Amino acid sequence: MSDMIDPQVHEKELEFEPGNEPAARKRMSKWTLYSRRFLRNKPAVVGIFIFLLLVAFAIVGPMMTEYDHIDMDFLNLSTGPSAEHWFGTNASGNDNFAQVSIGLQRSLMIAVTVSVGVTALSAVIGTAAAYFGGWTERTILLIIHFLMVVPSFLILAMISNDSGGDWRVIAFLMIFVVGWFFPARVIWTMALSLREREYVHAARYMGVRGFRIVLRHLLPNIGSLLVINFTLGIVSAVMTETGLSFLGFGVKIPDVSLGALIGSGANTITSAPWLFYFPAAALTLLTVSMALVADGLRDALDPTSAAGGRA
Amino acid sequence: MVKYLIRRFLGWLLMIVVATNLTYFLAWGYLDPRSNYVGRRPPLSEQQIVQQLLPRNLSDTVPLVERWWNWFTAIVTRWDWGVSPVGQVVNEQVAFRMWVSAELVLGATILTTVLGIALGVYTASRQYRLADRVGQATSIVTMNINIVVAALGIVLLAIALNNAVGKRIFYVTGSGSRGVEGFFPKLIDILQHLTLPTIALVLIGYSGIHFLQRSLLLDNIKADYVRTARAKGLTKQQAIRKHALRTSLIPVATQVAFTIPTVFTGAVLTETIFAWNGMGRYFIETISNNDIHGTVAIAAFGAFLTAIGALLSDIAVVVLDPRVRVS
Repeated sequence: MSDMIDPQVHEKELEFEPGNEPAARKRMSKWTLYSRRFLRNKPAVVGIFIFLLLVAFAIVGPMMTEYDHIDMDFLNLSTGPSAEHWFGTNASGNDNFAQVSIGLQRSLMIAVTVSVGVTALSAVIGTAAAYFGGWTERTILLIIHFLMVVPSFLILAMISNDSGGDWRVIAFLMIFVVGWFFPARVIWTMALSLREREYVHAARYMGVRGFRIVLRHLLPNIGSLLVINFTLGIVSAVMTETGLSFLGFGVKIPDVSLGALIGSGANTITSAPWLFYFPAAALTLLTVSMALVADGLRDALDPTSAAGGRA
Repeated sequence: MVKYLIRRFLGWLLMIVVATNLTYFLAWGYLDPRSNYVGRRPPLSEQQIVQQLLPRNLSDTVPLVERWWNWFTAIVTRWDWGVSPVGQVVNEQVAFRMWVSAELVLGATILTTVLGIALGVYTASRQYRLADRVGQATSIVTMNINIVVAALGIVLLAIALNNAVGKRIFYVTGSGSRGVEGFFPKLIDILQHLTLPTIALVLIGYSGIHFLQRSLLLDNIKADYVRTARAKGLTKQQAIRKHALRTSLIPVATQVAFTIPTVFTGAVLTETIFAWNGMGRYFIETISNNDIHGTVAIAAFGAFLTAIGALLSDIAVVVLDPRVRVS
């Protein structure tokens, strides 16, 4: 069972052994199919490799140096990369290596929290709007259109600035004010065609309650879209958070994020460029690798994707 | 058509009014003009602060509803959006900053669209060949570079270029130099300032349109009517240009219209990095200075742009798509 099953080779065998745990075998082959399609997309493999390296750096990095991200080394103010300070130091003597790894950690925490929240919220609201129809649908669409007019980034900046840059407040706002409504609208259009499917009708006539149909029948059928949305959600959350912190309205000292580091590095871009290079490199690697992974996931999970090739 | 557009416009107008008023109350919840005067040396007495703020309709000694009513009636009757805590007139600020931003955003949007569509058509007609692969790979990287990183990277490159040549070819700050006279010197000066931020905006923006145009065109190239056109004797290029491209432009036009407000937010960061005194800068200044009236005016401006974008996309669909009939 542990072998990978090539449906073309094993087709006959499967046909002749109907009692041979078809359910278990089928499930296995689904995942092998996904992983094979994913692995065929070489950039996606590179992407996931880079992403794992970054996560490892964010977790292990802070333990690798003797300096904390708030420690100040007064003997090394604004010095370039050296054996003692691998990524150099800033004007206050903070170790850039420790700051970048902590900043990456903070950015990742915000991005993953926001992306989980946005995906869950937009999925439930979007499918519920499509399934229930009527006034539920109209109300939800009205709210979505209204939120498109509301200057969400401005409200985000205002409240986050007032909160003193607490990352939990930022994440909360990014889910409820900025993030959910656009994906929800996309999911609503996808789910519109699902609500007319036979299995949804069947479930309804069996007496399954409305919200249960949404959760058990509609959501799993847009699962692949949700996985892709989640990955792309990480990219856009990192982007928003970076912009916010760069402007000084996001995460604030002593807490650091990649955006805040780039923001302070921008002021010394000619005199101490290493303060810009390292956080900028980490940020770019993070967003590009996640986009590559999303691309690979689309090939692997989307049955209509043409890029998948054979199987 | 006109009736339909007017109905849509009124709907959007209502939403803009509600959103703006909501922002007014939110702004009062999170911005405090009084705190601008705290910690001054010599310290101001309570009465002095109120005296400063009261004539500007920014004093919290007046009930919020009354402040709101004064603010709202001033806009409705006199189109007066109020003043900042230090007495800057919001109308004047928006009036001149709007054009600074527009100078940057309009050119960048046009370039982004043209480049995106051109690349999309070029790569789609060469699917899976080298040009397509290279284009895809480049676009997926540039699309996911943060605007901050892109802009600062361009600044570094420009500084290196200036140093290498020994002359200032590109300016990395400001939207124009003072004291430049004459048409051509002025034009060159504008270009020297405009080039770098425009490159930054185009670099991160074009790839979205490239991907969209490519995938839409690929769907259409495989459609039966394009095959029919080929069968009638058109070359592949002609068939794509005259038949496939036209249909696939519809969603692209919608997308472009909707990006207008997002381009303005993208310009917040670009303007900060290149020190342009546009709406983006104003956004940061108003929030940092507890300028409630300015903040609300920006919110209204953003909402207005979104509505314009939505209306433009409606018009684009009606113009481009013969199947859509509105009466």
